[in-house]
Amino acid sequence: MILSEMLASALRMGVPVLLAALGAIFSERSGVVNIGLEGMMVVGSFWGAFGSYVSGPGPGVLMAVAAGATLALLHAVVCVTFRVNQVVSGVALNILAYGVTRFASISLFKMATTSPHVDRFTAIDVPVLSEMPLLGPIFGGLSPVVILALVLVPVTNWVIQRTVFGLRLRSVGENPLGADTLGLNVPPLRFAGVLLSGMLAGLAGAYLAIEHTGMYVEGMTQGKGFIALAATIFGNWSPAGVMWASLLFGFAESLSFRVVEGSVVPYQFIKMIPYVLTLGVLSGVVRKVTPPAASGVPYERGG
Amino acid sequence: MRSGRLRALEGISPVLAVCFGVIAGSVLIAAMGKNPVAVYGTMFRFCLGRADSIGAILFKTTPLVFSGLAVAVGQKAGILNIGIEGQYFIGSFLAALAGFGLKGLPGLIHLPLAIAAGMTGGLMWAAVPAYLKIRRGVHEVISTIMMNYIAFSLVHYMVADVFMDKAQMPIPGLGSPRVRTPLMPDSAMMPKLHGFLEMIGISLPKHTYVNWFLPLGLALVALMYFIIWRTSFGYEVRAVGQNARASEAAGIKPGAVTVRVFLLSGAIAGLVGLSDLLCYFGYLDIDFPKGYGFNGVAVALLGRGSPVGIVLASLLFAFLDRGAEGVQTFAGIPMETMVILQGVMILSILVFAEISSRYVRQVQRREAVRG
Repeated sequence: MILSEMLASALRMGVPVLLAALGAIFSERSGVVNIGLEGMMVVGSFWGAFGSYVSGPGPGVLMAVAAGATLALLHAVVCVTFRVNQVVSGVALNILAYGVTRFASISLFKMATTSPHVDRFTAIDVPVLSEMPLLGPIFGGLSPVVILALVLVPVTNWVIQRTVFGLRLRSVGENPLGADTLGLNVPPLRFAGVLLSGMLAGLAGAYLAIEHTGMYVEGMTQGKGFIALAATIFGNWSPAGVMWASLLFGFAESLSFRVVEGSVVPYQFIKMIPYVLTLGVLSGVVRKVTPPAASGVPYERGG
Repeated sequence: MRSGRLRALEGISPVLAVCFGVIAGSVLIAAMGKNPVAVYGTMFRFCLGRADSIGAILFKTTPLVFSGLAVAVGQKAGILNIGIEGQYFIGSFLAALAGFGLKGLPGLIHLPLAIAAGMTGGLMWAAVPAYLKIRRGVHEVISTIMMNYIAFSLVHYMVADVFMDKAQMPIPGLGSPRVRTPLMPDSAMMPKLHGFLEMIGISLPKHTYVNWFLPLGLALVALMYFIIWRTSFGYEVRAVGQNARASEAAGIKPGAVTVRVFLLSGAIAGLVGLSDLLCYFGYLDIDFPKGYGFNGVAVALLGRGSPVGIVLASLLFAFLDRGAEGVQTFAGIPMETMVILQGVMILSILVFAEISSRYVRQVQRREAVRG
């Protein structure tokens, strides 16, 4: 019983990481590293809460996706059009996202760090599964966003592996010069990859604010954007791998909630678990995985 | 002649970026229904027209100089150390520990010990990502961010659970004691600059906290640039930063150089919080100022990694920070406007610098072809 409850909460905690990491797959497969995922989640969490506050969770999600995409557009212009160092641009975007969000929070909610409570989606009980004895806690009372995230795993895989768009996306991420020679236009494909990552990161932020907490709180992303990048590496840039990695991080976080109740270990150490786990996982796998060959490298025609 | 003009073009990109930031700020201010010119006017009057503002700006400049320098030194070897944040938290904690833990020492020994403890803390915290980078291939941007979160939790635990000052007098009107370490004796505190400034005829109000960490920071900037541009170690650092593989062919060990620079960057980062800790607070509490690390990234980027650039960018951000307090109070503009302005400045400097260096390279190539 406890095990299935923990799996249920691992799923809930892992979903924001999963969504952002699926986004990272699109971006990195197209050859652009997106360190700005964290900032895109931050704007997503704020605009998600704001949209939901004003007119319900549906519009909230749309606003969050648009906000993430806007920030991603900036990243794409800076990195793809102007070919600035992608890591540096991402770091700068995170700073910008922090400022913009605080500013917007003061202007719209008259509070710098929190929003009022906002409406969430009606939870869904998955038919049949939610009535089974062990699976009940996992499949009962699910957020639609959780279901969407799980559905997006095979969808992403199909898009990347089986569609023309996916093939082109991968080719500009592996060998942009070769793709260019074959007549593909590199910049629009990279724009598409980055924009998709921004939209998914925005959705991840919206999930945190609307579905998970029920309000916006400053700093609520807690480095999940960076953890998502780690999950992408750990999952070897494949949607299924990324899903297992995200569940692992979700499990670590849910563990921290369990252990806090009447524990001998101070809660500050429990709070470190996801970050220590990220470092551990990365130090174990980085050398063994193969990133897209041209990820992080700006492409310049005739350069 | 020609190359002089090109250099001027490269130098002008920070100025353009600042202009761009100011324009973005104006748009925001205008969107709030205020007059941008009047608001900027208020900001300048508030910042430059009062002695305490000058003092506050110089005090705010101090941590940024260290933090910008720490980032810039790392960048010279191709490291993007965005873990300054965690490194200075650990450094500040160790410095506080040396401060309140040791008693009866003369200031000439106690203060340097506290500073050394701060640098050691920063260095230790940089050692983990440095190791992970060269031995395990983990990119420092992810690992240092993780180390930041671990540092916050660890310092919180140390301050709240282990070293909390149980002997402090309760503050009237406040139910519970403050979550902070014991106070440090005066022997660990850094003297203010007031005495020295009075000797040269400048007097600052008592409630400003400009201290000797500022000249120390400026000296450190000069020293670092001497090392990087005039010593063989500095040559190796630049070689690794420009092309690690080519430097290896020249007999340099890029891994060893990377680790040394990472540790150096961490040690400098350990100094970031000390101006606040050892001159203003005198104790470490759970609300110790955050964010100097990320501002340091901004300073290093805007300063284009040059010594004068770092100092000027630190002054600019301190000015904006102080100005933000002014316009919030006197013009009703939220302080966060200035954070956005900084963000826009950084993004535009990146773009402008990239465009201008591309143009310069193009011109040079064309001239080389012409002979």
